[in-house]
Order: sequence, then C-alpha cells, then structure tokens
Amino acid sequence: MDTQAKKNALHYFHEKVVTPLGFKFTPDAELADFLLEQEVALEAKHGAPFCPCQPLRHNRARDMQIVCPCIPFHREHFDAIKRCWCGLFVHQDVTDPDSLPQLPPKDVGLG
Amino acid sequence: MADQFIRAISVNEIVPGGMKAVELDGHEIVICNCEGSFYAIARRCGHMNAPLELGTLDGKYITCGMHCARFDATTGEALAGPVPVDLGAESPPPRLSAFLQRVADQMQHVRTESIRTYETKIEAGWVHVAL
Repeated sequence: MDTQAKKNALHYFHEKVVTPLGFKFTPDAELADFLLEQEVALEAKHGAPFCPCQPLRHNRARDMQIVCPCIPFHREHFDAIKRCWCGLFVHQDVTDPDSLPQLPPKDVGLG
Repeated sequence: MADQFIRAISVNEIVPGGMKAVELDGHEIVICNCEGSFYAIARRCGHMNAPLELGTLDGKYITCGMHCARFDATTGEALAGPVPVDLGAESPPPRLSAFLQRVADQMQHVRTESIRTYETKIEAGWVHVAL
C-alpha cells in the first residue's frame, strides 16, 4: 500500500470529522505530514489509525477512544488547550500552533 | 493490441457519489461517479472478493461493505485493510469468543491487494470503458 495515498485518504476523512467540531488541521504542514505518516503505520499494524501520541493499553474500550480524530472523546480537554493532544488539529481560529502548550487535563482544571 | 472502448452505461444512471456494477465482455466492473467524474474499477474487493458496489463511495474513496477495506477509485490503490470487529462493551459467550478468535487468526493472513482500474471516457452522454 502506498503511504502517500493512505495519508491523503486519512486527511480527507479526518477533515470531514473535525471541521464540524470547530477544529482544522494544524497550519504546521510538516508536523501534520509527520503525524499522518505515524497514523498510517499504526493503521497498518493495528487496523485503526490510533493517536500516535498516546499509548495503546490493549483495552478495547479505552483504545477506541484514541482512534484519530479522538476529539469527541476528549472534547472538554482539547477545547481548553485549543488543540488535540498531538497538535494535529487546532481550533479553527489558531494561526500560530507553536504558541499552544501541550497541557494535561489536570493543568487546565479537568480530571 | 490497443484497448477497445465499450459503451457501458448512460451518465444519468449514476448520481454523484453512486456506484453501479456492470458486466462488460466477461469483466465484472464497478463504475463510480466521483462528483461528476467517472471511474471504472474491478468489481471484487482486493481483500475478500466482496462486490464493491455494495460498499460506499465518498469522494474518490471506496469502502467495502464487508470488512471496510478501503480503495482509491481512481487508481485502484488499496488504502486500508479490514477494520477490526467492534463487539462493544459486551463480552461474547466463551464458545463464540473462541470461534471469533479462530476467524481472526485465519484472517490475519489475508492480504488486501490493490485492484485493477479501467480507463473511461464520456461520449454522447455514455460512459465508455476500455477493456
């Protein structure tokens, strides 16, 4: 399977999901490309494009909550930090993704 | 020998986002209307030979209805293999669980191959496919 074609397909499907949620792909194209490539590898290995930045626990209920785009399962947290955990998606008004730190839930008053 | 174009179906027979299976000269083919552009692809899924017109077409991406393997309708490229079965929160009875595990063990050896595509052209309101 061709990695670039798979990345294009993931981009196409992810965009359809995240746009109605108020998110977009990060303007950092190099980061987006790198993360999508990791998702392609994870999908080839595990059958689903899991989040490249969170560990698999081999607990299906938990693991299904980190299939990209995992925004609906972590909405409150990601809305607070204006990005998803990886930084692949950011709020639609974000133009400088580097200014958004990767804060865990407890640092934004959650969990 | 140069490919020969065969008249397949009228362009009005498939709405954008639709697929239709046809048999042309012994070839099973699915014709896809990808937002106004027509593509022809071999009918059988590159994973387990399910008929692809029973799946879905989203943009140029076909998802097989049987195990959700995914293909690019324009190139035939296999993009993703089958999606793992979701049993939800329920754990199946032990015998069913053992059966599902056996199926999963056998399925892991099944590869998802890219599939053949055919050149198309539109002439006088008809889709022609090169064989």
